[in-house]
Amino acid sequence: MDKDVSYSNSGDAGQGHKKLPNSSRWSIFTEWTLRLVLGLVFIWASWHKILTPDQFAKILYGYGIFPDATINLLAIGVPFIELITGLSLILGLYKRSALILINAMLTGFIIVIAFNLIRGHEFDCGCFSFGDTKGVSSAVELLIRDVFMLGAGLVLWHLFKQESRAATGSSPL
Amino acid sequence: MKDIWGCFLIIGLSLILAFVVNAVSPNGIPLFGQWDEKAGVIMAGTTDAHAVKAKEINNPLKVLRLIESGSVILVDVRRADIYEQGHLPGALSFPLYDFETNKKRFLSTLVPEDDILVYCSGITCEDSHTFASKLIKMGFEKVTVYAGGFAEWQEMEFDMETGQTGSNG
Repeated sequence: MDKDVSYSNSGDAGQGHKKLPNSSRWSIFTEWTLRLVLGLVFIWASWHKILTPDQFAKILYGYGIFPDATINLLAIGVPFIELITGLSLILGLYKRSALILINAMLTGFIIVIAFNLIRGHEFDCGCFSFGDTKGVSSAVELLIRDVFMLGAGLVLWHLFKQESRAATGSSPL
Repeated sequence: MKDIWGCFLIIGLSLILAFVVNAVSPNGIPLFGQWDEKAGVIMAGTTDAHAVKAKEINNPLKVLRLIESGSVILVDVRRADIYEQGHLPGALSFPLYDFETNKKRFLSTLVPEDDILVYCSGITCEDSHTFASKLIKMGFEKVTVYAGGFAEWQEMEFDMETGQTGSNG
């Protein structure tokens, strides 16, 4: 489990309450918000895929890049990786590892969507629901959304690094 | 390094959970599906032990001969408005999404001994199989799916009908 850094307000006994610097409070707030948002998005995105893996498999087929033998395996496995990483990120269990996987998945989604857009291959991403995300314009929309989410993931990674530096007491360099 | 081990742990746990849930879920799919368009309708398949799979005809010329000989009853399971825009000659319209509503009418039109050929929009459309499975479970013995469906028929430039001709929906 990750060692969570406590920005406790309690301070040392005898010192009374010690106020956190504004920058630390802002970091905590940003970290929690990003963890919650990214985690919930991944949990939400996984849910309908878990309920209807057959439809998700067809969506994967529609991407036109996955070998036939891998389609069902991906349709079974990927939604649960999304679900568990989302939960881990929110609950703080192996949150750094979860974030690495989330950022890796987002990078993968961006590459796949961009590749299909470039070659003009229309597809249904099946990201949040099935059958309502066809067409080039929505593919561009979801590409932009994934880029924003990856941006959020990278900011969160930066905050995690700051947190570990603070925990170990080491300098940024 | 700890983070990398964490990634393996998360992936491992996720995959164990995924395959266990898939094995017990009524919506589970087999590890490998049918994704070869040349082999017939593409689909993930099902792990449901009670599921039935209809036979397929994957040859438009054979379908043409069957229609010309009048030996099969064609059933179009696409939406009624799409059916009206064009369908195979003599096909009856029984949209899958309206299966329960049309069930009585279907049973009054056809008997379990009839040769029924079901089709939908094309090779990537699974609705024909879903519809055929329902019929087989209802006791219809000779239900076949035309894998290529309307898309292939149109591509072959065979005769089509428009409007509600032959419609029962």
